Order: sequence, then C-alpha cells, then structure tokens
Amino acid sequence: MRRCPYIIVCVTVLLGLVSPANVARASSPWFTARPVLSTVEGMAVPPTEANKRFPPPEFESGYVQPSPTTPAPRQDIYQYIDALVLLAALGISAYLVLKRRSRSAIFALAVFSLLYFGFARMGCVCSVGAIQNIVLSIFDRSYAVPIVVLAFFLLPLIFTLFFGRVFCAGVCPLGAIQDLVLVRPVRVPNWLEGALRLFAYVYLGAAILFAATGSAFIICRYDPFVSFFRLSGNWNILTLGGSVLLVSVFVGRPYCRFVCPYGVILRQLSRISRWNVTIAPGRQDPAIVMTGLTGGPDECIQCRLCEDSCPFGAIREPTADWTGRDYSIGKKRLALLMVLLPVLALSVGWAGSRLKNVTARMHATVRLAERVYLEDAGKAEGTTNASLAFRATGKPTEQLYAEASNIRAKFTLGGWFFGGFVGLIAGLKLIGLSRRVGRTDYEADRASCLACGRCFEYCPKEHARRKGIEN
Amino acid sequence: MATAMVGGAFSVIILTLIAVNHFQRAVLLPKREQKLEVLKLELRSRPNPVPTPAFAGASPAPAQAGVEGNEQLTSQIRQLDLRIRQLRIRRYDFARKGAYLLLASAVTFLIAAKCAAVFRRKLPAPQPQPDRHDRQFHDAKWARQAVTGGLVMLGGAALILALIPEIDLSASGGVPAGFASKEDVAKNWPRFRGPAGLGVSAYTNIPTNWNGKTGEGILWKTKVPLPGHNSPVVWDDRVFLSGADPNKREVYCFDALSGRTLWTGPVQSPTVPGAKPLELGEATGYAAPTVATDGRRVCAIFPTGDVACFDFAGKRLWATNLGTPDSAYGYTSSLEIYRNLLLIQYDQENVEEEKSKLIALDVSSGRIVWQTKRPVPGSWSSPIVVEVDGCPQVITCGNPWVIAYDPSDGTELWRAKCIAGDIVPSPIYAGGLVFAIEAYTKLVAIRPTGRPVRQAQGRGDITETGIAWSVEDSTPDICSPVSNGQLLYLLTTDGLLLCYQVSDGKKLWEKDLKTNFLASPSIVGDKLYLLSAEGVMFISQIGPFDKAQGRPEYKELARCELGEPCHASPAFVDGRIYIRSSTHLYCISNRRDG
Repeated sequence: MRRCPYIIVCVTVLLGLVSPANVARASSPWFTARPVLSTVEGMAVPPTEANKRFPPPEFESGYVQPSPTTPAPRQDIYQYIDALVLLAALGISAYLVLKRRSRSAIFALAVFSLLYFGFARMGCVCSVGAIQNIVLSIFDRSYAVPIVVLAFFLLPLIFTLFFGRVFCAGVCPLGAIQDLVLVRPVRVPNWLEGALRLFAYVYLGAAILFAATGSAFIICRYDPFVSFFRLSGNWNILTLGGSVLLVSVFVGRPYCRFVCPYGVILRQLSRISRWNVTIAPGRQDPAIVMTGLTGGPDECIQCRLCEDSCPFGAIREPTADWTGRDYSIGKKRLALLMVLLPVLALSVGWAGSRLKNVTARMHATVRLAERVYLEDAGKAEGTTNASLAFRATGKPTEQLYAEASNIRAKFTLGGWFFGGFVGLIAGLKLIGLSRRVGRTDYEADRASCLACGRCFEYCPKEHARRKGIEN
Repeated sequence: MATAMVGGAFSVIILTLIAVNHFQRAVLLPKREQKLEVLKLELRSRPNPVPTPAFAGASPAPAQAGVEGNEQLTSQIRQLDLRIRQLRIRRYDFARKGAYLLLASAVTFLIAAKCAAVFRRKLPAPQPQPDRHDRQFHDAKWARQAVTGGLVMLGGAALILALIPEIDLSASGGVPAGFASKEDVAKNWPRFRGPAGLGVSAYTNIPTNWNGKTGEGILWKTKVPLPGHNSPVVWDDRVFLSGADPNKREVYCFDALSGRTLWTGPVQSPTVPGAKPLELGEATGYAAPTVATDGRRVCAIFPTGDVACFDFAGKRLWATNLGTPDSAYGYTSSLEIYRNLLLIQYDQENVEEEKSKLIALDVSSGRIVWQTKRPVPGSWSSPIVVEVDGCPQVITCGNPWVIAYDPSDGTELWRAKCIAGDIVPSPIYAGGLVFAIEAYTKLVAIRPTGRPVRQAQGRGDITETGIAWSVEDSTPDICSPVSNGQLLYLLTTDGLLLCYQVSDGKKLWEKDLKTNFLASPSIVGDKLYLLSAEGVMFISQIGPFDKAQGRPEYKELARCELGEPCHASPAFVDGRIYIRSSTHLYCISNRRDG
C-alpha cells in the first residue's frame, strides 16, 4: 500500500498529464488560477502576450479595471506557496488527528483553512474541482493541467492513503464552513445514509462525463460555497449555498457526506490507508506504534459513551452474531445480487446512454447548433449572442451540425459509462449491505470518518492517555 | 443563548432586506428599462427635423417645433437613463453592505449558538440494547430498500429526461439550411424582375395569347386582399405578394397551381405613442417594394420601415422595424437576397444627414450583419447583385452615384458619378456593362471593375475611366431597362419604346406605343413583353442582330388584353405568366396540368 502514491504519480505521468510542455505552459498564472475550461486559443496565447498586443485603455478618473477572472490570476510564486500551504496544512492535520488527537486544534486548523483557502484564495484552486481538470487533461490532450492544480488534486489523495481523511478534517474549506455552522446535529438514520450517499457517486460520474466531453465543470459551476468565499455570486447559487448551510446547522456536513465527488474518492482510499483515526488510542496510534507500545486486543472497553458522539454517523457499533438462518438467507441474497450486478450496470448504462438528448446540451456547441437550427426552422424567436456570433463567422451550419452530432455521439458512449458506473456502485452498495461484517469494538468507519476528532474526548481511554501525558 | 437569538433574528432581518432588494433589482428595474427602450424607439422613429432656412421661403415653425419635441424626448431619455443607473448602483451597494452585515451577524449567531450548545451539552447516557441483532438486520434491510428506491428514482428521472425529444440536426424540417443554388434561382422568379433583377426569363415556353375578359388562357385569377404595386415573386409552386393600406400590412402566399391563398402573414408595426400614421399618395401606395425569397423564406419590406420574414408555411420567423424612411414619394426599393443576406437599399432624403444606407440583414434572424452609409438622397430604385469577373457585386443607383458594394461585408468596390434627379429605374447588368438611367435625359453604360481591380486599387471613383458610353435621350422615369446582351430596350411611361445597341449605345429604332406603361419590360427567349398600365401585354419580336439581315425594327407579334389596370411587372416561370392587376393576381398558362 505504501507504493500507491508512487503508482498514482507514475500513472499520471504515463497518461501525459505532466509533460514538460504542459508544465511549462501550466506555469502561466492563467492556468494555475483558473481551473475552469480554457479554450485552445487561450492556451496558445498566454495572457501576458495578449495584454501586450491589446493593451487596456488607461482611465484618467482613477478607475481601476477589474480582473476578467475571479479570482484574479496569481503570480507563479504565490501559486507554489498555496501548494506549500496545502502540504503543510495536510501534515499538521495528520499530526493533530493521529498523534495529538486534539479536537480544538483540528477546529483551529479548519478555521485557518476556511480563511486561507476559502476567503483569501476565494475557494480556487480547490481539490474538489481539480478532478475536472485532471479528467479533461486525460481526454483532451490540448488541455494542459496546471501543476499546482495537479498538486491540489494529488496531495490530499496521498495523505489519505497514509493517514485517512485528514484533508476533510481540517484542510478542506468546504468542509470547514459546514463544520463551523453545525450547532445542533441531528442523526441521519443509518439506513438512509447509504442511499443518500449514492448521489455523490452520481455527481462524480456526471462531473467526469461533462469534463471529459469538454462541456462544463459542473463541480465549480454548482459549488454552493464559492459565492460566500467571494462575497459575491449569482442569486441562485447564493440561495443554494444558504440552503446547504442552513441544513448544515442540523445535519453534519451534508455536502461532504452526500454530494462531494472528491469525498467519494477519498472514501475508497481511506479504506486502505496505512493509519487511520481510532476512537480509543492504542493499537493504531502511530506514536504508540513507533514507540513499540502496542495496545492489547481489548482497547475498546465497550462503554458505549462514544456511540452518539459522531454527528456524521461514522461510528460503527459491534455487529451482532448471525444465526444459521441469517447465513442461509444472506448467502442466497448475496448470490442473487452478484448475478444481478452486471445486469444492473448494463441496464443503468443503457439508460445513461439514452440521456444524451439532455446531457449533450451541456456542451456549448450542441446548444449553439440546436439554437441555430431552431432559429432557421422558425421555431425560436429572435437570436442569441452566440447564434449571432456564429453567423458572423460565415461558417456553414452543416459543419456546426456535424460537430454537434459528433459531440452527441460522445455523450452516447459517455452515457453508457456514466450509467454503468452508477449501476455498478448501486449494486456494490447492495452487496455491501448484504454481507456480514465482523466487528467486536466500537470503531470509526474508515471510509466515512471525517477525522474531525469529536469522538476522542468521549473515550475514557483517551482521558487516561492525556492524563498520562500530563503526568 | 440570548446573544445567539439576537444574532439569528438580526440575520433573518438582513436576509429579508437583501431578498427584497434583489426583488426590486430583478423585477422593478427591468420595467424602467423597458420604458427607456420604448422612449428610445420613439425617438428613433421620429424624423430628424432640420430648421428650414428663412430664405427658402418656407415657414420654419413646424421644423422648429419638431426639433424642440425631439430635444424634450432626448432629455427625458437621459433623465430616465440616469435614474436607472443610480438605482442600479444603489441596489448593488445595498446588497454589498447587507452581505457584510449578514456575515457579521451570522458569525455572531454561530459563535453564540456553539457556545450555548457546548454549555448545554449533556453527558452521554447509553441505554441497554437488547435488540441489537434485530435492529441491525432491520437497518440493513431498510438500507437496501432505500438504495433500491434511490436507484428507481434515478431511473424514473432518467426515463423522463430521455423522453425529451432530441432535435434532429440531420433532418430538414422547417427551413432548410444553406442557400439556394444558382440553378434554382435561375429556374424561379425570386425577386423584382426575376433572377438578378434583370427582367429576363430562363424559359421560352411562355404564353403569347390570352384574354382576361373572355378568360381565354387564364389558368386562375385570385383576388388580392390589400392593394399594392409590388410584383409577384415565384418559387416552385408558390407565388408571393404583399399588400397594405394605411393600417394593415400583409404578405400573401398563393398556390401556383390553383391560385388558392395558402396563407396571409400580417406584419405589425411597433406601437409608438404619439406617432402620426404614414400618409402616402396612391401612385406609390403602401406596398410598392417587391418581396424576395431564397427558396426557404420570403421577406417583405413596407414604407413604414417594417421588415418581416416568413417561412414557406407562413410562420413569421422574425420582424423588425428600420424606422420610417424619409422618402419624398414613399419608399419603393425592392429587396434582394444574396446567400444569407437580405439587402435593403434604404435611401432617404437630406443627403447631409447621412441617413441613406445599404443594409444587410441576416435572413435567418433579421439582425443587421452590416450597413454602409450612402452619399445619396432618397431614391426609388432597387439594388441588384451580379457577378463581375467572378466577383459578386451589389449595384445601386442614387443621385448622383452608381455604386457597387461587396455583398459579404458592404465594402464599396467602385462608384461612378453619372446620374442626377429622382432615380427610380433600377440598374441592370448585361453584355459586361451596368446600365443606369437618369430620368428623361440620359442612359449610361458603365464598365464595372471586378475583383482584380479592387485588389489592386481598392475602392475607387471610375467616373473618368469606367463610363463606356452614355446617350442623351428621352429615357424612362419609372420603368427599368432590359437587355439580351446585344440589344437594350427602354420604355418610357408615355409609351415610347427605344432600342439601343449594347456595345456602343447606338440607337437602332424607337416606337411610340401610344399608351402608358408602369411595369418594366421583360425578355422571354426572343420576345419582348411590355405590360401597359391598362393591362395590355405587347409582345414583340427581338430581332436577331445580324448585319446580314439589316437594321432590326419593332415587330409586334401579339397584344393580349387582361382587362384590368396593371402597375406591377409580371413574372415569367415555366409556361406561365403571373400578373398582378390592381385587384387580382392572374396566372396565364395554356397548360391545364400545371
């Protein structure tokens, strides 16, 4: 498992994400501070050169022209500082979660991350949105992923592989803002938790589909908190963000648990992480492991004081024993679900491919082609700026239609993968719910635990540890 | 806790105020902006009065009043515009300050609420769990059902979305894409005086004998609802006309086989408060300009400045208003369609105000693609698009210039200063020459410059170098010329038919037909068709210009009476003639099968 980060880096290089040319181009502030779709033309002419060619007018009134991008492009050095801050924050978070085991220190780190990565950096670059840059760079070789964006994508993954979800604990500004507003947590029933989490997989699949086809970066477009970080935004997004925050007052981190596509990846990596959060200090406490003070098998004293301490429903109780009848029924169910798994994946994949009528419209070319067609057919009143600009180019509409048809074909194929992915995940989830998991202690679920550290102080063993440290 | 409550209440109040502010910005401001647009439109539609100089002998009072009225309206627009901008900035400022206040109050609320939550936290008190087995199995069962339910919901949503019909970009429903081919244009009669406005038909099987009174040779006759002097336009099995009176403007589509009215397309003018209705004389009427079609759509223009475009099913695709043109007799220039562009020669009086222009609208959307100012006063002729050395040119006539433009972007290609007065006849291009007419006095033949000259010299005045020849004679004041490339025919309003040699302008003969003509002459094969104002078609032989046969002369072949006055020029398409009389549209054909 320790080789996994290296494997990721190697695969990344092999896929051509970081070629020398890409790195050179990606060092432009244009790319590093703009994890949104860039046009090929934009990449061919760096903004510095563009500024020289088209110098902006100077105003005698003292008016300062606003930056055309939000947030404004960062100079190279500051981008690397951002990456270093991220690296440091992840390291500190891992230390605070696994060694120091201090909820208040994690909380302080979360506040810092919110202020720095959220309000100061205006939520950009963010690791969650970086998924799309990576996907686009895989499917569109003309798109160069900025090296800082790559760092924002990879660093949390690498840290998760070693230390669990320490990124979610105190580094992610999206998680931090929800954590800060959590006042009166209401427990979401266990049975509902898994079903709601399915949405995050759907969202991840959709984000990959739209990024791969060069249509849209929906994670950025529908980021509910970015308008707060920038103290400005579209009314609809502000309303969405406000609603999510309102829910967050009562439901712990709803975006992280049920929506975040990056969280879906982190969940899987956290399952296999080298070290992870434990409610009771001991067996897996790195400090103890390093010092050779391994705990005994009965670290958890089954006091059950922690069972309601997690507002995110990440603490798993010991499992009850299965009877013979339970095993019999469970085996049959499991066999049936395993047989049905490919059927489910294929059928949902087919449904996904049928969605191309709608999904393809996320692509600007398809939207333009349909608009032009409707205008020409007299089925749409007036024109749009896009259709007018297209007509001014003199490009034949047949060519536009052909391009749009090609993109639709991509969405047909992409829809198969997207639907298949959703079907597969749903099937695996059903299988997961049908198999027996042997658990004797109260444990933090490796996948779901956000490493917030709330449960530490509920454990009598933790109090004993702290007392021992003090003594 | 009290602090949290105060902070929360304050947050709710601020949030409410921000929402109200947003509502005002999103709903109320657009209403004011709409009002501003109406005022701007009104100003644009008003004529731009210039005070008449005292020595002109006219009273300056009305013009002066117009100037003051316009200034008042302009001032009103400026005030409203300023008010809108102030309100918008104020609303944005309010929202910005509100956001900061909301942030502060929300932070206060959160800190206080979290502190209160910490202070009120209860110690955990685990209860006995005797039913762990059942509970866990129950949870697992419900979780499976919830996942299945979620999947079903996703499937249902996908099904609903999949039912949304896809726009089939490969289908040719609605208006076909692209442009009509040259062959299709030549086969039809797509504009005033047919292909390229030359008055020459591609067919030779045109009837030479009919009688409107007896019905002989009349395939059908259909009443046209509203009057108009515009000419019929034909594409395949459809015939188009327009008609108007002071209150209504309409475009008509008739079935070419039966004469049945397929559809009527009303054209509305924008409502401008206080605007006076347009008053035009009967000689011009309210629908003089001929419509144009590209085989996919039909476009019409009216003296009110209304331009409208319909598809062949009669659905209005778009409509716009260019502002009422300032024209002494009323606007009469007909439309031309070149590729995706609808070309409008929009000449207006008072050349110093630079209101005359050539406008190209996108035929599919009605948006202006380009417009070029023209240094001419009002004129009544129509533009033509011809190819000169493979270079398409829009050729226009106005006092004193004949000007050619590049239809792709409106760039001027060449100009020749050679005509004066009120320009009504349209130019033609034949035998490598452009012919322009100065009413009553002069016929000019211009050798246009093609692409090579444009590239080498750019735009240029070819008055000195490009006039091939000109003759001073009794030239027409209304009817446009027609030529077969060798002979050129002019027809004056009072019936004088003149024939010239294209190559050198030598007059070969003239014939007084002793009746009045308003329709322009046309050539069909080796015959010349002249439709008199009384509705009599004079059909004569175009003599083969062969020196061996001597000097050609006027040789009348037939006279066919329609029985109704006619102002419009007929259309000649594949065995048929379409004639618009003062009240009817006639289809003349010897074939009953269509």
